[in-house]
Amino acid sequence: MSGVGDIVHLLFTANLWQATLAAAVLLLLPALGGVISERSGVVNIAMEGMMLTGAFFAVVADLAWHNPWLATLVAIVAGGLMATIHAVVSIQFRADQIVSGIAINIFAAGLTVFLVNRIYGLQDVGHVGPNELLPYVDIPALDQIPFFGQVVFDQNIVVYIALILLVATHIVLFRTRLGLRIRAVGEHPQAADTAGLNVYVIRYSAVITSGLLSGLSGAFLAIGISNTFVPNMTDGRGYIALAAMIFGKWTPFGAFIACLIFGLGQAIYDNNSIIHVSPYLLSMLPYLLTLIVLAGLVGRATPPAADGLPYVPGSE
Amino acid sequence: MGHKRLRFLGVVAAAMVFTLACGGTTGGGTPTKTYKIGLVTDIGGLNDKSFNHLADVGLEKAKTDFKIQADVKESKSGDDYVPNLTDFATKNYDLVIGVGFLMQEAVGTVSGQFPNIHFAIIDGAGTDSKGTDLKHSNVQSLFFKEQDAGAMVGVIAGWLEKNGKAKKNKHVVGAVGGISIPPVNHYIAGYKWAAKMEDPSIQVLVGYSNNFTDPAKCAGVATSQINQGADVLFQVAGGCGLGVLQSAGKAGVYSIGVDADQKDADPSVIASALKKVDVATYTAIKNVVNNQFQAGALTFEIKNGGAGYSVDNLDLPAELKAELDKIEGQIKSGALTPPADIPA
Repeated sequence: MSGVGDIVHLLFTANLWQATLAAAVLLLLPALGGVISERSGVVNIAMEGMMLTGAFFAVVADLAWHNPWLATLVAIVAGGLMATIHAVVSIQFRADQIVSGIAINIFAAGLTVFLVNRIYGLQDVGHVGPNELLPYVDIPALDQIPFFGQVVFDQNIVVYIALILLVATHIVLFRTRLGLRIRAVGEHPQAADTAGLNVYVIRYSAVITSGLLSGLSGAFLAIGISNTFVPNMTDGRGYIALAAMIFGKWTPFGAFIACLIFGLGQAIYDNNSIIHVSPYLLSMLPYLLTLIVLAGLVGRATPPAADGLPYVPGSE
Repeated sequence: MGHKRLRFLGVVAAAMVFTLACGGTTGGGTPTKTYKIGLVTDIGGLNDKSFNHLADVGLEKAKTDFKIQADVKESKSGDDYVPNLTDFATKNYDLVIGVGFLMQEAVGTVSGQFPNIHFAIIDGAGTDSKGTDLKHSNVQSLFFKEQDAGAMVGVIAGWLEKNGKAKKNKHVVGAVGGISIPPVNHYIAGYKWAAKMEDPSIQVLVGYSNNFTDPAKCAGVATSQINQGADVLFQVAGGCGLGVLQSAGKAGVYSIGVDADQKDADPSVIASALKKVDVATYTAIKNVVNNQFQAGALTFEIKNGGAGYSVDNLDLPAELKAELDKIEGQIKSGALTPPADIPA
């Protein structure tokens, strides 16, 4: 079948892997956020809504101030604010964390469309100028490495930031006292509390951090890869990031590998004009890959013990 | 106990924000003797700068010309179509317009439940779940010959390639469709057919993003085509396709917009294939106001001003202009008929 040959041929092109990494990073940022939040014991399925909110405010701010950095900051804060709602509802009020997450996703979808209409009327949102987007940066010298250079060092600036954050998240979670505390709170909050940790503060910080990361991903989507806001433009990436987090067993690098698999599926799919396979079949690829890897290689994924359980001081 | 109550409160709060967020765009009282027109967008939303946007333009124009009350509901997912249509129907609107092929089944369902309410659907018919037209006597279908518009921009792409006036001139051009559905493929069919007519050695890459709302997905498909040497890219993917225009700009090649004039979306946009959804929406409303509602199909094409093209960020060479006028005339007269199916 020539379609398979087409795909094999593609696997040897740097273009494909370059696109894979970019697609993976869009998922990696919210996935890292999910890892941090759930490691602290708060189930977070609201990355989709936080990312969408970030995307929207990135565009609004960039159109207003013509500064992608400021716009990105606004997006990060907007994502963080959405996360704060989730934190208050699920930590303070001990509401069901799944329900809160769903509410935030629905709220974000409605809020952004509503604000688009309020701010821009029924007209076009507008387009951010080419010089006001988050830039693509070739790393000098390193981008000259054959193949690998184009794949890793010829990317949007957010890709580099995300890779640094990936390593940083891993180090913080597994090599620092702070990480130990976050994990302790997620595994056994009563014990952590007894040991003198402030469970609420740690959980709040973790949930809000997940919003900041999702907001950054939204900014990358809206003013890095795209130049405008389209309602529902995140298109389920927050949910795929959630899958990547579980797939990666709640570890940063595990999630990254999962994101790369999803990204690879997307990048292969993007070539459907030159692959002689039905685009419908091809669009199943990322999910098919996941099923195969999940069933064959990963095995049982166990969440943090106290994940999703509100902490009530003094209870046992 | 307390936990359960809080959980309930959470659900109520979620329902409330949802209602508030959705209620934002509907409005106003209901004065008598005013025709009530309800417009339901598909998932692209009003700001897709294309299709839903144009329907709204037609609605706004009708608002200034006739005594109507116009309300719009934006659908955020496919599950919103039936409730949105039903809401207008239960409130006895005089015409409920569904924007887009994706709403066919929803219009079929709701029009069956409300036989006394008039429905119009852009780009489709009221169908059952298998896509068979139910031919309800209260449904008007507004169809377009997108291939007419696609052919005009195909002439531009093919002419530029043949005469070495594009950016790379490797005789490769591309088209990025959203989902492989008839209205999308009609455009691509006309485009490919005309491009090949102008430049027989041309290769036309056809890809799909499987999406209408996410510019990043279309950017991926566009980049793949650019890597294959394409230097004119035609987007046929609504809001998603904005990513095609931007990718073309980034790579320094040309792009072509769709449905509406997309000149402002990116400097790379040299032309747009126009599907005058505004004309169709306006016509449908006018017919209702004049008591001339007719069930069945109404087709908009180059001949009746319902399809066309615009030249955008390009200094149009005189020879190309002459060629465009010639082809347009031949399509109008029936001497040339762009195909509805993508040619091999």
